[in-house]
Amino acid sequence: MNLQCKNISYSYNQQQQIFNHISFEFNGPGFHALFGESGVGKSTLAKIISGLMIPDKGTIINQSGSSQIIYTTNQERFPGWQTIQMHYNSILPENTKEICQHMMHVFGIDNCLHSKFNQLSLGQKNRVNLIRYLLQEHPALIMDESLANVDESMRERIILYIKEQFPEKIFIYISHHVREICKFCDQIVVLRSVGHSPQALKFKGQNIYNNTINSDQLKENMLEIVHAT
Amino acid sequence: MPHNRIIQFFILYISGLTMLFLIKYSFGLSDYVIPAISDIVFTANKILPVYVRAVIESIIIAIIGHLLSIILACVIGILGRMNSFAGTLIKAGAYQIQAYPVVAIAPIIFILMGDGLLPRLLITSMICYFPLLLTFVGVFTEPVPDIEHYYNVTNTLSWDLEIKIRAYEHQKKILTVIEGSATLAMVGTIVAEFLSAESGIGYQISIALSQSDMAKVLIALFLIGLSISIYLTVLAAGLWTKNMQYSTGDGYH
Repeated sequence: MNLQCKNISYSYNQQQQIFNHISFEFNGPGFHALFGESGVGKSTLAKIISGLMIPDKGTIINQSGSSQIIYTTNQERFPGWQTIQMHYNSILPENTKEICQHMMHVFGIDNCLHSKFNQLSLGQKNRVNLIRYLLQEHPALIMDESLANVDESMRERIILYIKEQFPEKIFIYISHHVREICKFCDQIVVLRSVGHSPQALKFKGQNIYNNTINSDQLKENMLEIVHAT
Repeated sequence: MPHNRIIQFFILYISGLTMLFLIKYSFGLSDYVIPAISDIVFTANKILPVYVRAVIESIIIAIIGHLLSIILACVIGILGRMNSFAGTLIKAGAYQIQAYPVVAIAPIIFILMGDGLLPRLLITSMICYFPLLLTFVGVFTEPVPDIEHYYNVTNTLSWDLEIKIRAYEHQKKILTVIEGSATLAMVGTIVAEFLSAESGIGYQISIALSQSDMAKVLIALFLIGLSISIYLTVLAAGLWTKNMQYSTGDGYH
């Protein structure tokens, strides 16, 4: 299962160039990352990968079959008339009920079930939103700041759970937490502004499956990523 | 504030009346042009039952016409939101038809349909439906990306869900235009009655005009204003209570 971006170029309004022949590849399932400074075009690239935006040039090759790559962001909301439980009941298949309950428990939001979306905190909103995407059958999911406003220990717990629960899927995680990305991600694509060549650099992360890590290696990895941006 | 509209009406009516009497006494106009208060009270005693019946008939027609125009605007708004040729045609047709003033074609409606209830309803609906249509078309064609995104990427956004999401998100806009168009509905009814009906408060005003009886016109205006302000008060109370229920979670699920 590979995801390949070949020679992607994109400009806003045909004037402001954002990407100039970007090429990279995520090989195999796992928890990968797209990293870069603010405004460098991570979300735009994620939307191009998921087919929500069309690049000026280049192709996206999704070798995971015909299924679409889905994109989620922390800007989403649930319909205002539904509680979280009603919403899940209306969109999720019956056979996901049990795992949904378990995920809510792991994600620390089992007390949100009878609340409405606008009654939740930002972190809770992001977690209830992420669950509905994780329970889709699509083989690839782009998580754009999906764990923003969630505390660090909970974020780590959630990432480890996702890696354990969905080992066959591709996740592309967009976050500004360099430590978290180096610690948990397998392949890291660092996106740089349009003047840099190449515009996208690929690194290997620590890709840990539990909370034990060699801190020297992690530091080295982090420095490498930070220097590349 | 349920009593606001009624209080506003009384303030407006009394201000208008005061201004009229100021003109009367400043320019020394005769009672024939602007009647004295005693004349107005005397006329009111004589014609009040007839006028109350007439205004009740008119307000009922206005309410039914208002409801019809809400339904019509909603249906056209739903159809017009489609990106297809049919949707564009419906939307363009609905907009263009309003380029011609409804009042101007009212005589044709009366000639074809007579002076019964139906033509009055039709004219009422046509006059108040345009602002409703503009709002409904606007609301139903305006996406709510942060909610619809999930349904779009999972290919589960049905047309009725799309409408429900958009209507819910813009409910304040919808409720405001429904409230605002209620006055237009009464205007439409009075215009229709004024033109050719044989009953209703508009018809009574046309008789009073032919007699140049300002007292009768002032009484009719008082009853029209009072009935509209009561209707608006009831409507606003109902609509905004419903709105509060949706917002707090006691609404439809």
